[in-house]
Amino acid sequence: MLAHAVFVLLGRKMNWLYLSSFCLYFAVIGGEVKRPRGVAISKASLYDPSHDFPCFDGSSVIPFDHVNDDYCDCADGSDEPGTSACPNGSFHCTNAGYIPKYIPSSRVNDGICDCCDGTDEYSGKVTCANYCLELGRQHREEQEKKRALLIEGHQLYKEYCINGQEARQKKMERLEEIQKEKEDLEDRRNALEAAKVEAEIPESEAKQRHLDTWKAEKSRRKEEADMVKMAAAFEDLDSDKNEIITYQELQTHLEFDIDSNGEVSDEEAKEYLEEGSEVDFSTFSAKVWPHIKDIYKQPVTKTESQPDESNGQKSHEEEHGDEDGDGTGDENGEEIDDDEEETPNPEEYDVDEGDQEDDNDDEEGDDESHTPWKERFIDAKQARGDNEDRNHNEDDDDTKDMPEYNEETKALIEVADKARAAFNEVNDVYKELEKEINAINAFLSLDLGENNEFYSLKDSCYEYVDREYTYKLCPYNKCTQRDKRGGVETSLGNWGKWSEEKNKYDAMIFEKGQSCWNGPDRSVKVLLQCGLSNELIGASEPNKCEYEFKFQTPAVCRTLPLEIQPELHDEL
Amino acid sequence: MITRAPIAVIIFCAVIIQAVDKSNFKTCSQSGFCKRQRDHKPAESQYRALLDAVEIGPSAIKVHLVNKQNSAKLLLEVFALQDNTVRVKINDLEPNKLRYEIPVGDVLVQEPQQASLQVHSKDSSHMKLKVQDNTVILYASPFHMDFLSSDTPVMSLNSQGLLKYEQYRSKSKNEAAEDKPVDGVDENPGEEQEKEEENTAEEPDMWEETFKTHQDSKPYGPSSVGMDISFPGFEFVYGIPEHADDLALKSTKDTDPYRLYNLDVFEYELNNPMALYGSVPYMIAHNEEKSVGVFWQNAAETWIDIRSNTADRGMFSKLVDFVKGDDKIPQVDTHWFSESGIIDMFIMLGPQPKDVFRQYGLLTGTTPLPPLFALAYHQCRWNYNDEHDVASVDAGFDEHDIPVDVIWLDIEHTDGRRYFTWDAHKFPHSDEMIRNVSAKGRKMVTIVDPHIKKDSNYFICQQFQDRDLFIKNKDDSIYDGWCWPGSSYYPDFTDPKVREFWASKFHTDEYKGSTNDLHIWNDMNEPSVFNGPEVTMHKDAKHMNGWEHRDVHNVYGLYVHRATYEGIKLRGGNNHRPFVLSRAFYAGSQRYGAVWTGDNKADWTHLKISMPMLLTLNLVGLTQSGADVGGFFTNPEPELLTRWYQAASYQPFFRAHAHLDTRRREPWLQPPDHKQVTREAIRTRYRLLPYWYTVFQENEATGMPVMRPLWVEFPKEKETFRIEDTFMIGSSLLVRPVTDAGMTSVSVYLPGQDQVWYDRDTWQMKNGGQQVLVNVNLQKAKNMLSSQIPVFQRGGSIIPQKTRIRRSSILMADDPYTLIVALDKKNALSSFSWKTDFLSFISKRQQGHAKGDLYEDDYYSFRYKNGQYIKRRFTFANSKLSSSDIHSGGISMKSNAWIERVIVVGYAQHPSSVGLSTGSKQSDLSFDYDSERRVLTIRKPGININEDFTITVQ
Repeated sequence: MLAHAVFVLLGRKMNWLYLSSFCLYFAVIGGEVKRPRGVAISKASLYDPSHDFPCFDGSSVIPFDHVNDDYCDCADGSDEPGTSACPNGSFHCTNAGYIPKYIPSSRVNDGICDCCDGTDEYSGKVTCANYCLELGRQHREEQEKKRALLIEGHQLYKEYCINGQEARQKKMERLEEIQKEKEDLEDRRNALEAAKVEAEIPESEAKQRHLDTWKAEKSRRKEEADMVKMAAAFEDLDSDKNEIITYQELQTHLEFDIDSNGEVSDEEAKEYLEEGSEVDFSTFSAKVWPHIKDIYKQPVTKTESQPDESNGQKSHEEEHGDEDGDGTGDENGEEIDDDEEETPNPEEYDVDEGDQEDDNDDEEGDDESHTPWKERFIDAKQARGDNEDRNHNEDDDDTKDMPEYNEETKALIEVADKARAAFNEVNDVYKELEKEINAINAFLSLDLGENNEFYSLKDSCYEYVDREYTYKLCPYNKCTQRDKRGGVETSLGNWGKWSEEKNKYDAMIFEKGQSCWNGPDRSVKVLLQCGLSNELIGASEPNKCEYEFKFQTPAVCRTLPLEIQPELHDEL
Repeated sequence: MITRAPIAVIIFCAVIIQAVDKSNFKTCSQSGFCKRQRDHKPAESQYRALLDAVEIGPSAIKVHLVNKQNSAKLLLEVFALQDNTVRVKINDLEPNKLRYEIPVGDVLVQEPQQASLQVHSKDSSHMKLKVQDNTVILYASPFHMDFLSSDTPVMSLNSQGLLKYEQYRSKSKNEAAEDKPVDGVDENPGEEQEKEEENTAEEPDMWEETFKTHQDSKPYGPSSVGMDISFPGFEFVYGIPEHADDLALKSTKDTDPYRLYNLDVFEYELNNPMALYGSVPYMIAHNEEKSVGVFWQNAAETWIDIRSNTADRGMFSKLVDFVKGDDKIPQVDTHWFSESGIIDMFIMLGPQPKDVFRQYGLLTGTTPLPPLFALAYHQCRWNYNDEHDVASVDAGFDEHDIPVDVIWLDIEHTDGRRYFTWDAHKFPHSDEMIRNVSAKGRKMVTIVDPHIKKDSNYFICQQFQDRDLFIKNKDDSIYDGWCWPGSSYYPDFTDPKVREFWASKFHTDEYKGSTNDLHIWNDMNEPSVFNGPEVTMHKDAKHMNGWEHRDVHNVYGLYVHRATYEGIKLRGGNNHRPFVLSRAFYAGSQRYGAVWTGDNKADWTHLKISMPMLLTLNLVGLTQSGADVGGFFTNPEPELLTRWYQAASYQPFFRAHAHLDTRRREPWLQPPDHKQVTREAIRTRYRLLPYWYTVFQENEATGMPVMRPLWVEFPKEKETFRIEDTFMIGSSLLVRPVTDAGMTSVSVYLPGQDQVWYDRDTWQMKNGGQQVLVNVNLQKAKNMLSSQIPVFQRGGSIIPQKTRIRRSSILMADDPYTLIVALDKKNALSSFSWKTDFLSFISKRQQGHAKGDLYEDDYYSFRYKNGQYIKRRFTFANSKLSSSDIHSGGISMKSNAWIERVIVVGYAQHPSSVGLSTGSKQSDLSFDYDSERRVLTIRKPGININEDFTITVQ
């Protein structure tokens, strides 16, 4: 009591208004240790009333009556543990019966009860009840529950670990087994492959010979047909039948109207006649025909009058089709093409000359010829892309109407077929093994936790339903959301990684879900907590399109509870 | 001497953000009356004042104005008002149809008090009137008026002859009646030709106007009014918000005129004269000698053209035989025109800035002292999703030891955007939620917009419809517009009955789930109509007494704001100060609370423009104003957000807000370094709350702005006239926010040749009248001193502050004060130490001075109106700090707050002792003196704030 009297010093300059606070200068805890207000028992010895007080940070030494005098003298706030004077100070609540804690000094005497023992409010502004015992009781109950949960959960966790380990073990064993199997198969497969390749060489040579012969034949037939057409054209153009075609004769054919002004001028006509005014048959066939054969329009015949009428003068397209014997079906397509055409430019036609084997080709070629220049650049690019297809088609077409292989070739094919079948049989098995190896490797590369404890979650999905949506979590796979009123599932993210937090296995990250209007791709962070079952227990969207799931699982019940709760007071 | 050129360059080179869809909004050439008025070019006015028949009263005169061409007659009234103010009103003499006038009490606080007016001289050519120290000269022909303040010409009306009054008439082009003047006065047939020119040939826009797909039927035809106002001797004019533009208004020679038409502009563009959410047709002209103001009281769409010219020297020499040297005299010519209503101008003749602010305050009122929480930090977002979210945000502030006073809820808190309701799933226990927040002294705010969801099951809609309180179409059906809830009706807030009924809805019995700690936010009150012309209401919609929306548009938002304010006031038994935030505003909106600059963007340019925008709002009385911290649209990078917090902590209304699509950005979500700086910025706001509160009280009492352009405090210093990146809070704090990325230092202009300034972080002293470089490196956040923005305390001032930062402002009510006494130049010695001894000898005689006020009350009620407040004046002179009571009435109040510390900065020598005397008691105080920084810290005087005392430093 003597000490108390010494401690309760009333500052000489103190005003009546705040005098009251100094009557509570020291709190007396449990009638035992005397220490300044707001000081933990562990620090009581640092406040020795018989000496000047050195600030903890050593910044200065102050008279002891400046401790807790409601004025901040120490830069570190250590002189005012029991008042709100220091901006960086803290106040210790003993909270007997519950957990002691430090609160910022600014919460002392602010009219709000922060400590359950009410010691932070002593100015009389508010009366705080001491509810530490009740809190302590609740706390112990909760701790007990938590403890039970942790014990039971940890049991399950261990099972998960075992399951995971076993699964992993099995996979590894299986991997070893099939890798060996694969190796065993390797030699046989290689031998069969070599045999196959060997059999295929004569086969393909024979086939090529056959094809070449057929191509030559086809080419000859085509030339013949062209000659027939050329002769007919000569006869047609030579309207006066004098075996000479004059430029005047050409002028009756409007297809030679280069500038599309409605008439074929002298210059235009002469240009086709190689700058001469007339040609005989041999000059026509050698020099003129190659240039005009795509322009020249056959006189209208009964069967082809329909498209011709609807399409003005350009009938050569149909001719082309006919040449290959399958033109009729594609006429419509060509007509559309024709509609887009500008006036044909004979010089451009040269580009296409001679290599147009089918209607597809014609289309491509016409596009290139007739589109305005700017667009042609783009079209040409596309056309180039299509070239592969076209070549492929040509090959196919090369075999069209091709006669059967001869017996020799047939025999070679049969041999090769057998070799192929033998190889394929083994190769299929081999591929299967390879696939399984890849699958196992993929599995083994999955981060299933320190002890493979997440294995048990791997192939399952879990749902959580709130007012509007059904959320789904499929660990190592994906997260989705579906409106309860219907509609399609929205991807919130695909399996990305474990979190980058202190314990990375506390959260799963799913990324690159459906992208948001005016925002990022959707993503989910799944927070894991220990529980006795696997259950999705919450889903929210704290930021636009960034979701947060809460998932409980025994897989994170890693630690057993500490046997004692040391921070909990057992006083009283 | 410094050059202002760099600042001008920055201003004019500001990057323009192309975001707004300009085609949604009219240009002048797309607005019929704007085009017609703007086409009216300066010339000799056609109007003649009939001075022979002038009616002269004790404080007013009435004169007829006759149009020489068409004999149309107008009535000119000139009123002398108290405090150097003159009202000039021009209306139809015999109106065909009454023109709209805003009822007295709605924008004007009351019928302005008249003053005596003497006719000094009068003949048929002119008459000279004396109004206090001012002269008004009215010239008969051509009609124009000059205003002289102490014999210096400061303003002219109609000197450019731009008075144009489109009188109501009947449509029908070919009828003779149309050619007759509407007042029915017989015309001289011989004048017909000329009249046709004057009374405007028919133009297609006169009788109906189409903009995009919207048609304005204009049943009453053209009705615009316009006039020129010149400011001889002035180069700088300010005011007429709201525009995202410079503080010093720019010439509109090459742009559209500044437009005043309250509009909801999506992603508004900076640095142009387009209209925004609010309108205050009030302009201030300022030069080294004079400040004058003109308030154009008209609620219709208004445009203002501005030109920089040179004054007619003849005017000066002829009138007062006074010409300043041979220099050209600058002049600003302005041209004002409104779509309908009358010409009703209030001319405030200053002559100093503080006089103009007081004069405007007398007319339209000042901001009533806000409750303290309104000046603290506000946390808003579209949206805090549910009660749990609110609780966790509330707890987040405590966890990170960051103070906050108000948590806000945007539209998603409602049941389907039905205001006055709650989403039953997200906010099932809203009253409990509010109580949990208010348990820490905090408040909540919910949004209540004026568009009412059209829904017969919605009680608000039903009740308003039953009482016939909605705005009508011209065919008397209810006006139906599209807004947040979809199809909506709009109460006619111009009608006092509607306001009264609306106000009653805020009672907690009506607004279920609310408590008295819930305050209100009125958004979209321009009004915003998503499917209306220019995203607002059709001009031919009908209000009370048949007035068209065109007549009242710009004042609609004020009425919404007012009705809500009155509702909250009523709810608290007329004893609790309401807080209501509004987006739309008009002159007088300051009486109802806060406004903000609407939907800005997370962009450095938007941070920068917030300064001139808020300074302009403060000049026109809207002192409780702010910009969304961080920018409403898009995500701010951490540096921008941090700098924004630093800037906004020194802006009057301090609220963080963010769009639905943005990432969460509560202060603690910042990276750790930035979080620390942000936290410190918010805490600094709380530290200075006593000062803010005192400045706001001064604002209510005197009309002085809270956030002030430098020229308000340094009116004679021309260097300051264009500065907008640096400003004052009250008269004692100078602030220069950092508004560019990556800045490690910024230059600050410190005004005042004889002025000294103290850096608030280091107490380092700087001389005024120069540019100084201040370190603002954010990267060195560990050293808090260098990461702050430049803030200087003015030498000669005393600032009261509190250092115990609690969780909310009201929890600091009883906490002790620290007084920062910053000495003026007399004691602020140069820092050369060799001088110290000599000067300390001098300083015995030349003591530094300082003074400052402190206002305190209960921080929330209207009891201060009855004298229940404390007002102290602290004076430091002759090494004595004394505190005296400057309470104006008898009653005072008790306070628990006391003085814990006095810091005297710029104190030149080590004192030997410090003594305190209160009443008859004397005692010694301990102190600490930092001779390097010249800072004297006096320890714990411990006197109650309401006690007289003297502290003597020996």
